[in-house]
Amino acid sequence: MDGMALKLPSFKFLNPNISTIRSPPLLRKFSSSSSSLPVSASGTTLREAGPASNSVSLGQLTRPDFPILHQTINNGSKLVYLDNAATSQKPISVLKALQDYYESYNSNVHRGIHYLSAKATEKYELAREKVAAFINAEESREIVFTRNATEAINLVAYSWGFTNLKSGDEVVLTIAEHHSAIVPWQFVAQKTGAVLKFVDLNEDEVADVVQLKEMISSKTKLVVVHHISNTLASSLPIQDIVHWAHAVEAKVLVDACQSVPHMPVDVRDLDADFLVASSHKMCGPTGVGFLYGKSDILSTMPPFLGGGEMISDVFLDHSTYAEPPSRFEAGTPAIGEVIGLGAAIDYLQGIGMQKIHDFINPLHQYINKYNNTIKSEMMGTIYSYILSIYLFLFLMQMELANYLYENLSTVNNIRIYGPKPSKGVDRAALCSFNVKNIHPTDIATFLDQQHGVAIRSGHHCAQPLHRYLGINASARASLHFYNTKEDVDYFIHALNDTVNFFDSFK
Amino acid sequence: MYTSTASTISSIKTTISPSPNPNKKETFSPFENTKRLSFSSFKSLKCIHSPPSNPKRLTSCAAFTLSPSLTTKLVPSKLPHLITEFESLSQPIDLVKRLLQYAALLAPLPDSSRVDSNRVMGCTAQVWLEVELDEYGKIMLWADSDSEITRGFCACLVLVLDGTPPEEVLNVTTEDLAALNIGLHGGARSRVNTWHNVLVSMQKRVRILVAERDRKKDFDPFSSLIVSSDGVQAKGRYAEAQIRIKANNFSSY
Repeated sequence: MDGMALKLPSFKFLNPNISTIRSPPLLRKFSSSSSSLPVSASGTTLREAGPASNSVSLGQLTRPDFPILHQTINNGSKLVYLDNAATSQKPISVLKALQDYYESYNSNVHRGIHYLSAKATEKYELAREKVAAFINAEESREIVFTRNATEAINLVAYSWGFTNLKSGDEVVLTIAEHHSAIVPWQFVAQKTGAVLKFVDLNEDEVADVVQLKEMISSKTKLVVVHHISNTLASSLPIQDIVHWAHAVEAKVLVDACQSVPHMPVDVRDLDADFLVASSHKMCGPTGVGFLYGKSDILSTMPPFLGGGEMISDVFLDHSTYAEPPSRFEAGTPAIGEVIGLGAAIDYLQGIGMQKIHDFINPLHQYINKYNNTIKSEMMGTIYSYILSIYLFLFLMQMELANYLYENLSTVNNIRIYGPKPSKGVDRAALCSFNVKNIHPTDIATFLDQQHGVAIRSGHHCAQPLHRYLGINASARASLHFYNTKEDVDYFIHALNDTVNFFDSFK
Repeated sequence: MYTSTASTISSIKTTISPSPNPNKKETFSPFENTKRLSFSSFKSLKCIHSPPSNPKRLTSCAAFTLSPSLTTKLVPSKLPHLITEFESLSQPIDLVKRLLQYAALLAPLPDSSRVDSNRVMGCTAQVWLEVELDEYGKIMLWADSDSEITRGFCACLVLVLDGTPPEEVLNVTTEDLAALNIGLHGGARSRVNTWHNVLVSMQKRVRILVAERDRKKDFDPFSSLIVSSDGVQAKGRYAEAQIRIKANNFSSY
């Protein structure tokens, strides 16, 4: 079956010369063979032969590119990293890009004449182009590099918000927003008199788009929404929201931190006015985020921070400002990290964002694809056979998001937040949950100490949402494409053990 | 490959009582590695105290200065014992178990004390803390959390610091507690470090209480100028300043 699986169309991004999935070093299409960074000799380290170990998964194929995953912690537990919604791990190619930058062309950008500066500038601007292409922006000057997504939202709040919002104007948000998408608008509202209006959840524990639509009025000047909730795993129909907002000439800011790393995001398709994401959640370095803004909007916005880089001319009493994106990038940027982000995008695109999404998201897409192929009657017998195997493998394996949800649901006294997966409901590959009478911090501590499983506990920077759900905190397991079904199996086993442990103390 | 913890639980249960009932005799010795402090010393823990019936309203206050006589660093005597005990735990999971044992000995705070004004901010779990000075000027502590492991941390801090002079509480540093960290909650300065957050919060409240006490001690009810046949005397700092200003003014005539 292994050999067959390798012929499947889904995996053609792999090195076609490989003969078996048991030879991970040959699979390192996405890593650099010349890396001098430490790499685990074990390559793809599968915890143990689980039920799906005979099938090829994206997780198994990509794990060799992430040295950090191949380690033992806390007296011998193998690390199972399930905190990807907080931050993702970095492939060797990103580590190497950072090392290359600091080793061979570290220099300040945009101002030096010399060779190193020119090279650094070229790579830095190339990274901007990569980000632009990655989200299908029309041009790279629509991408502003920031320290993180939080700063990107603050940039919009301070620059666009203070300029355009006045007393009585309304900003529509949902209660499921990350604090970084709420607090900057509180600042603006407090100073301008604008009003923040919050959309609740519906009965499925998804931000209520019906209520959101009704809330949008002629007073609405801005809608701030998540693309995918970092707690509920739910997604919002951004195109519809943008359509409703634009009908009243309101702008839309999309917090895409949890979507950009996991699925294709097309800003032209979404038609959002602003979109923010963060490098470290998409396999890139920390210290970098970006703001996408439509050119015509960015060009009307005043600077956010003052300093070098963002000026045109400086006089003692006033200055004139550079055009976007420089206008919003005061001071020396995180050059190496931006270049690292470019390498992360290369890596993700090497896999293909659609493949990443399909790997971890609902199976019905495959079934639909399969059915459509049959209907098209363009399929030969061999292709049909291959597709059947392909479908079988995925049925065996299930996609990770639902696999996590379904297995987590079997744990006694568990409550998983957000929508139940069903036809038409796409859950992201994360689950926030609570187990009755055990604090999530205790669960996370025990999972870490006893089993080497890394999950998050707390409010995930979404206190209003937690308050709405009537809880102070939750535990959260979040996956990325390098996670495997075995990781999920091990996590569920460890969680059951954790629950038994704490129950024994009651 | 999968290891289960459940098999080890029965052995724990034979040595400790999970009951939080403070009056029940515990077979678990919190300082089993230090004979001098067995359960008898544990009686100072607030499972014996009842929570304060009328918790003080703590008000914000300016700085507090330590007595200048404090030239040597005071460390609460129970801290080294606790550190020794924790350092003897070779497995991280043993620390978790030990913290749960301590948690079981800590009486929960009533709902009236589990209020926002008593919250310790910065912990991943909710922690409530109350600090008072007893009639001898010693610190009285009460703490609680909605997380059992965090309750264990709180119990340890209460055990070590309850009944000590304020100066001892103020002299404990996060570094002193670093040995108790043993793999839990990251480094000493992690924002989720319960030891750090509870300690800092405790010290802040102790400073306020001590400052309030000291202010009462040198209470200066009304700043006044006392005019007598011998001249004008100032009572209080404001009056002293007035005298100085007047003197300057007079001298300029």
